[in-house]
Amino acid sequence: MPEIKDKGILRQVETLTSKLRRRQLAGAQESAIETTLLIKYIVAHAKFATIHELIAIIKAAGRRLVEAQPKEHTVGNVVRRILRLIREEWAASVNKPVDEGDQPMTTEDSQTETGEMSTQSSPRSSTLSVGEQTPLMTPATPRPVVSDSQYSLSNFVLHGRPHREATDFASVYAATIQESSTTPKKSAQSIRPALISAIEEVMDELETVFETVSSSAKDHIHSDEIVLTLGMSRTVEAFLKKAALDRKFTALVAEAAPSFSGHQLAQSLASSGINTILIPDSAVYAVMSRVNKVILGAHAILANGGVYAVAGSILAAHAAQTHRTPVVFCAGQFKLSPLWNVYHTYGSLDFANPAHILGFQEGKLMDQVDVLNPAYDYVPPELINVFITNDGDIPPASMNRLVKETYDNEDYQL
Amino acid sequence: MSATEPAGPALEDASNPQDGVQTRKQLTKAERRELQERQRAAKAAATASNPSNKSQNQKTPQSQSNKQPKKDPTSVAGPSGSSATATSGKKPTPKPGRDADKIAPGAGGMDKGDKIADLETQRRHQTRIFAHFASPKQDAQIGAGIKGEIHPTIVRLGRQFADMKIVGANARCIAMLVAFKAVIQDYVTPPNQTLARDLTQYLSPQISYLVSARPMAVSMGNAIRELKYHISVVSIDVPEQDAKDHLCEQIDTYISHRIVLADSVIEEYAMPKIQNGAVIMTFARSSVVERVLISAWSRGKRFSVKVVDSAPLSEGRKMLSALLKAGIPCTYLLVNGIGSLISTVSLVFLGAHAINSNGSVYSRAGTALVAMLAKEHSVPVLVLSETYKYSNNLQLDSFTKNELAALSDTLQPPNGQGHLLSQSSLQIINPLYDLTPHTHITVLVTEVGLIPPSAISTLAGLRDKDKGLQLAV
Repeated sequence: MPEIKDKGILRQVETLTSKLRRRQLAGAQESAIETTLLIKYIVAHAKFATIHELIAIIKAAGRRLVEAQPKEHTVGNVVRRILRLIREEWAASVNKPVDEGDQPMTTEDSQTETGEMSTQSSPRSSTLSVGEQTPLMTPATPRPVVSDSQYSLSNFVLHGRPHREATDFASVYAATIQESSTTPKKSAQSIRPALISAIEEVMDELETVFETVSSSAKDHIHSDEIVLTLGMSRTVEAFLKKAALDRKFTALVAEAAPSFSGHQLAQSLASSGINTILIPDSAVYAVMSRVNKVILGAHAILANGGVYAVAGSILAAHAAQTHRTPVVFCAGQFKLSPLWNVYHTYGSLDFANPAHILGFQEGKLMDQVDVLNPAYDYVPPELINVFITNDGDIPPASMNRLVKETYDNEDYQL
Repeated sequence: MSATEPAGPALEDASNPQDGVQTRKQLTKAERRELQERQRAAKAAATASNPSNKSQNQKTPQSQSNKQPKKDPTSVAGPSGSSATATSGKKPTPKPGRDADKIAPGAGGMDKGDKIADLETQRRHQTRIFAHFASPKQDAQIGAGIKGEIHPTIVRLGRQFADMKIVGANARCIAMLVAFKAVIQDYVTPPNQTLARDLTQYLSPQISYLVSARPMAVSMGNAIRELKYHISVVSIDVPEQDAKDHLCEQIDTYISHRIVLADSVIEEYAMPKIQNGAVIMTFARSSVVERVLISAWSRGKRFSVKVVDSAPLSEGRKMLSALLKAGIPCTYLLVNGIGSLISTVSLVFLGAHAINSNGSVYSRAGTALVAMLAKEHSVPVLVLSETYKYSNNLQLDSFTKNELAALSDTLQPPNGQGHLLSQSSLQIINPLYDLTPHTHITVLVTEVGLIPPSAISTLAGLRDKDKGLQLAV
C-alpha cells in the first residue's frame, strides 16, 4: 500500500487482515469493534499533512480489510462511517470561524458514479444534511446562499440534476484552505483529538448496540404472544430477554440445522425464564398459523432494504407472508451496508462446511453426492415489515435514505 | 407391589398397566424388592414434582434391571439440581453441563428416552398449543388399558411403529394389512358366533393397540374401512377357512390394486413431465417419488435431483442412497438451504400422507416450505399420491391434527454439546406433519389422472362400478 508508510500501522493492518481472512475474527459486532480500534490507532498515530492524506490512508487500510473478508460487511461499513465522520469533523472545524453569508455553501452533490456493484444508478442523490455545513464547492458555478436547515425547492431544481463534472476532492480542499487564508490556518493534525472522540462515540455505539436495540422491546412484544425466531442472533437474544422483563410470552426457536445455533439461543432464553419451544426447521410452516410475530437477526442490511440473514430466513419470511404475520429484523445500524444484491441467483454469499450435513462417516454416499450448505439467505425488502435498530424503527423503504445519511458516495467503493 | 404405591401423579401409575400387560409372575421377589428400594430412595431424595423421580419409577425391572445400579447414584444426585430449576424459573443459569453429565451418555438410549419423555410431559403444560398433539409412546404406554388378546404379530408391529422402524403411509398400511392377514388366519370363530359379526370385534383391540403405538394413518384407516366392509358381507354359509382365505385374498387385491398398481399408473402419468436436463427437487422420502425417478432414469431420461432433507427423521438419506444406487446424479441439502438454489430447479415432486377434500396435502413436515418456495419462484409442484390416501377430513392448518416425534433420536446437537433438557422453561417439539394448502400445489398426480388440487373432491364421487362401492371414502 503506497499510501501507508508507517510501519506500525502497516503491522496493525496486516494483523487484522490475517485474522479476518482466517476467520479467527468472525461475527458482525466483533469485526466492527476490531476495525474501529484499528482506525482509531491509525488516526492517533498516522502522520498526515492534510485531511485528504488521512482519508487516503484509512481508505487503503479499509480496502485491505474488505478484500480479506468480503463476507463481513460490517468491516467496510465501519470504515465508511468513520470516513464520513472525519469529513464532517473537518468541515465543522474549518468553517467554524467563517459563518457569514459570504461563504457559499451548497448541499452535497453526487459524485461520478462509482462501481456497478456498490451504488444504485440514481440520477439524483443530493443529500440534504440537515444542520450540517459542507465545504464542497465547484468553483466555477456561482451558487446562491442556502440556509443549511431549510429545504428550498429552487435549490433542489438547480442542483437536482446529475453533475457530470468530476469534483476533485483535493482541489476542493485546497480551495477551502485558500479561502480561509484570512482566518488562522487550521492544520489537519489539530482535529485529531476531535476525530478520536468521534471514533470513540462510534465505539460506544457498537459496544452498547444490544442494549439500545432492545430498548423498545416491550412495546413490540405483547403478553401471551408467540414469537418465532431462527438460529442464534445476539441482538434478538437481547431483544427477547429485555421484553421478558415486562411481558410474558412464548418464544419458538427454529434450530437452524446444521449449525444448530438455535439450540444455543433456546437454552439462553429458557435460562432467563422465557417459555421457549425448540422446533426443527421443517416445522416453521406448520407452526406459522399460531405465530404472532417473526423476529429475525440480520447478517447485513443492504441498501435496498433487503437483508442477508441466516439460511432459512427466506422460508420463515415467505411463510409469515402467507399467514399475514409481520416479519421484524433486529439489527444494529452498523450492519447497514451500501451494497445491493444484484445477483439473486445464489442468494447465499457464503457456504459452510458440507461435512456438517453429510460427513465422512457416510463415506460411500459422500463420494457421489454434491452437498450444499449455504450459510445465508437473501430476504427481499417486500417480505420485511420493519427493522428495529439502535436508532429507532425503520421501514425497509427508508434504508436507502439512511445509507445516504450515513456514508459518503465516494466511499461506497473503498 | 403396585398396590402399595401411593396414588401419585399420573406418570407413576403408568407403571401399573405395564405390570398388567406383562403378567405379575414375571416380577420375581428380588425384582420387586429392587423396585421398592428405588422408589424409596427416589422419594427420599426429592420433592414430588421432580421429573427425574418419575423416570425412576417409570422404568420396569424387566427391561432396565441391568442399568439400574448405574442409574441410582446419578439420579439421586441429579434431582436436587433439576428440582431447583423446576421450582423457580428465575434462578440463574443452572449449570447445564452438570445435568448433562448426570444423564450419562453410557446409560443407554432407552434410559435417556424415558427421562426425556418424563421431562417433556412435565413441561407440556406450560405452553398448551401443542398439548393435543399425539406424543411419542414409551414401552409402558403402548397398549395401556387395552382389554383383549393382542396377536403377537400386532405387538411386534406396534413396537416397530413406535420405534419408527416402519415409516411412510404406504409402508405402514401394507405392513398392517399383512399383519392382519396373519391375525385372520389364526382367528377361530367362537361357538354361536358368525365370522361376519365377530371378526370385526376381534380386530378392534388389535387396531386400538396399533393406534396406541402411533396414531392411525389415513391410509391405514381407509384400508381398515374397506376390510371391515368385506368382513361384513361374508355370507353365513361359507365355511370358516374359505371365508378367511377370501378375506386374505381381498387384502391382497387391495394392496395390489390401490397401492402397487396405482403406483405404476402414477408413474406413467408423471413420466412425460420429466424432461431431459430437468432439475428435480424432492423432499424427504416418498416411495412413489422414488419409484418414479428411478423408473424414469432406467428408461433413459437424463436429469438431476436435489434431495432436500430435514430433522426429525432425516428420511432424505434413504432416498439419496436409493437414487445414487440407480445412478442418478444428486445434490443433498437441508431444508434451510433451498432459498439459495430454488431458481435452478425446474420441477418439484412431493409425496403425501393424505389428501384432504379441499385439495390441501398433509405430508411430512417441511413439505409445505418446499412447495411454498417453489410456487413463489414459479416452479411447478407435483404431488404424487394414490387415491386411497384421500380423506374427507378438512383441516385448516397443521395444528388440527399432528403428531410429535420422539426426542431421543432427534435434534442431536453437534460435537456432543450437553443435553438441552436441563431447563424447565424449554420444550422440544418435533411435529412430524404439516399441511400444504392447495394454493401451493400445481397438480395432483393420482392413478385416476392429473387433478388440479381444488377439484380433488371429485375423488369422493368416484364409484367402483363392479362393487357398487365408493372408491375412496
